[in-house]
Amino acid sequence: MKRVVVFSLALSAGAAYASALSAQPSRSVWDAVYTAEQAKRGEAAYGQHCASCHGGTLLGAEAAPALTGFEFNSNWDGLSVGDLFERIRMSMPVDDPGKVSAQQKADIVAHMLRVGGFPAGTTELPRDVQVLQQIRYVSTKP
Amino acid sequence: MPRLLRPFTILVLMLPILVASGAGLLGQVRPRDGEWATYGGDLASRRYRPFDQINRENFKDLEVAWRFKTDALGPRPEFNFQSTPLMVDGVLYTTAGTRRAVVALDAATGEMLWMSREDEGKRGEAAPRRLSGRGLAYWTDGRESRIVYVTPGYQMIALDARTGRRVPGFGRNGVVDLKLEMDQPIDLESGEVGLHAAPIISNNVIIVGAAHLPGGTPKSRIHEKGYIRGYDARTGKRLWIFHTLPQNGEFGNETWLQDSWAYTGNVGVWAQMTIDEELGRLYMPVELPTGDYYGGHRPGNGLFGESLVALDLKTGQRKWHYQLVHHGIWDFDIPCAPILADITVNGRTIKAIAQPTKQNWLYVFDRVTGEPVWPIEERPVPKGDVPGEWYAATQPFVTKPAPYDLQGVSIDDLIDFTPELRAEAVKLVSRYKIGPLFTPPPVSRWEGPRGLIMVPSSTGGANWPGGSLDPETNILYIYSFRQPTVIGMINDPARSDMNFINGQARDPNAPPPAPAAPAAPGAVAGEGGGPALTVQGLPLLKPPYGTITATDLNRGEIVWQVAHGETPDAVRNHPALKGLNIPRTGRPAGRIGTLVTKTLVIAGEPGFFTMPNGQRGAMLRAYDKATGAEVGAVPMPAPQTGSPMTYMLNGRQYLAVPISGAGYSGELVVFRAPQSAAPTSSR
Repeated sequence: MKRVVVFSLALSAGAAYASALSAQPSRSVWDAVYTAEQAKRGEAAYGQHCASCHGGTLLGAEAAPALTGFEFNSNWDGLSVGDLFERIRMSMPVDDPGKVSAQQKADIVAHMLRVGGFPAGTTELPRDVQVLQQIRYVSTKP
Repeated sequence: MPRLLRPFTILVLMLPILVASGAGLLGQVRPRDGEWATYGGDLASRRYRPFDQINRENFKDLEVAWRFKTDALGPRPEFNFQSTPLMVDGVLYTTAGTRRAVVALDAATGEMLWMSREDEGKRGEAAPRRLSGRGLAYWTDGRESRIVYVTPGYQMIALDARTGRRVPGFGRNGVVDLKLEMDQPIDLESGEVGLHAAPIISNNVIIVGAAHLPGGTPKSRIHEKGYIRGYDARTGKRLWIFHTLPQNGEFGNETWLQDSWAYTGNVGVWAQMTIDEELGRLYMPVELPTGDYYGGHRPGNGLFGESLVALDLKTGQRKWHYQLVHHGIWDFDIPCAPILADITVNGRTIKAIAQPTKQNWLYVFDRVTGEPVWPIEERPVPKGDVPGEWYAATQPFVTKPAPYDLQGVSIDDLIDFTPELRAEAVKLVSRYKIGPLFTPPPVSRWEGPRGLIMVPSSTGGANWPGGSLDPETNILYIYSFRQPTVIGMINDPARSDMNFINGQARDPNAPPPAPAAPAAPGAVAGEGGGPALTVQGLPLLKPPYGTITATDLNRGEIVWQVAHGETPDAVRNHPALKGLNIPRTGRPAGRIGTLVTKTLVIAGEPGFFTMPNGQRGAMLRAYDKATGAEVGAVPMPAPQTGSPMTYMLNGRQYLAVPISGAGYSGELVVFRAPQSAAPTSSR
């Protein structure tokens, strides 16, 4: 009985992680996966839709967690940018997730990556979750 | 309108309850052995049960009795499931999901007995405190039993605990609109007041608090006021209101200079409250007034901001108060329920009340008189440089017990795993102001200081889960964490009519941010990209990042402290730390509630890590309550986000833990003692 229970827990525990791993991402957030221009657009969108709860500096506030820094990185480490994008797509902004477009949400993720210290490049982060699933969120530079 | 599920199932399952509802004292939450009938376990907010079936020998062998996923209780999944369920008569009740639905579950199996939901439309979307909330309240008079909760849109709803149907004789068809009868005009749709705390009920009086949006960057100095009200549990009629921000002629009004009482708002109670039924007293932990970090528009000490206030439960009349922070400019809202304890100090028995805080002091008072048990001294504190700010000359300093976590920052508190990391940390903080507790936030300047590095941050220290108390020993347990935040003052008329709000100066040579389209009233113009306050990706401060502290309230002394939370992967695998032996660090995050039983202190971890089984998740840990030694742990798929509770049912002890987190939506995981621990009759 015990073994079965523990196993089922472990299965669920690893579900999100396993989905990320099964996609076998070949790139990570250290591979310049967004552009500076996109992050700039994302900064504006963040200010309009996210800052009131998460704080202008992404450091979180009373009602919402930080979106940058050590603990954020620890909790997302090993998942994919697609997981992060899906989380935002599904549930943010909390009052009405539909009022921010998928493109704007990709821009906001780009802003988060810039603030997180990940390098910008020449290709924008797409809004296609299938593609985003191929990019691993890795907090420490490989 | 509520949508009900399985009414026939409900009736069949509830028949035994109808027979067994001789609750005794009318209208009082007096849990029977085995139950958990109010948010804090009891009205004293002790989060304690003297059960010992789950113990040090078998904790590691806990079975998962059942799990309940909350995704469908709203239009989308929720990722911050903060409730503490109740368990009465074999039924587990909780709020859950993005719409804050109420569900009744078979406490043995998790089967849903009924569900009630409210679609509040735009009113719900505009609510300042959304999502599933912290929980609900139970009431019975021995004949009827009700579940009472507050919706995101600030409506109080009474449901028949047996069926989930609204109670017709309560308010208007089971609903009391809390935006009415609040002694101020409040827009029913957009008025910025709500609540995510659970109501508390005693002696047929329901107490309802008030919460608002976080106040670091308020749009205006003019704001809704967070008054507290008592309601008749039978009818929903308002019995009394207490003006936490005293009006003209009321006690404390003189602490608001230049008539600032008239337009200032907030001063609500968003935390849980506590009741002493014998004394007939309600104890309220009050938040600060409008403007978390700038008080220039509200000169004066500003009662009852950041005060612990005792009221007569039946009338709402003030009995005593104690202001923990004068004219707050650090967002040290009192965040959690105070805890009642009958302590013995130097041979004298004291009916005491202990208030955990964000600022890591445990304030202990005689709860009859409001006198501090150990001296609290008014000491001078420095004034800052923000134009127009009114600085309190002194602040109350607790002399005993010692603080349970860091208060303020010095160079000695910075990361020191290696000399190189320390040097980088020193360089980082040189651009900011640092100092002890009550160091005032500065005007943010790009050339420095860009702000105050504040520890504890505005989220603690301790926060809304509060602590636990063992009445056998009068030891109080509390989780706290250390995570710095930056508070700077900027002027931004486009965002606020306040002279200053929280933010940071931008690099004057950097290009302005892209304009939002359309022009964004909530945009962050004037703020830079934001410092993560990390050093090579590591926390700025030394560990322990998260701690459970046990404090003996008879002696006013800390008994033990333990780092709670496994060392994060990012520390364990960091190249700069290779070869170093780093003890468990805890996590620089989390709002973690503790549970105390006959022998254990139990708490889940606040963050993900790679568990011993190789999977991503978090552990539920048990500590010997006398020593702090870890005695067992079991894996969970995600961190604890609500507070654990326990109950006995059919001879088995259960342990319910609400979990959720990054990429993992809300779920209630209910463990139970292994079969081998159960009495023979229940096997």
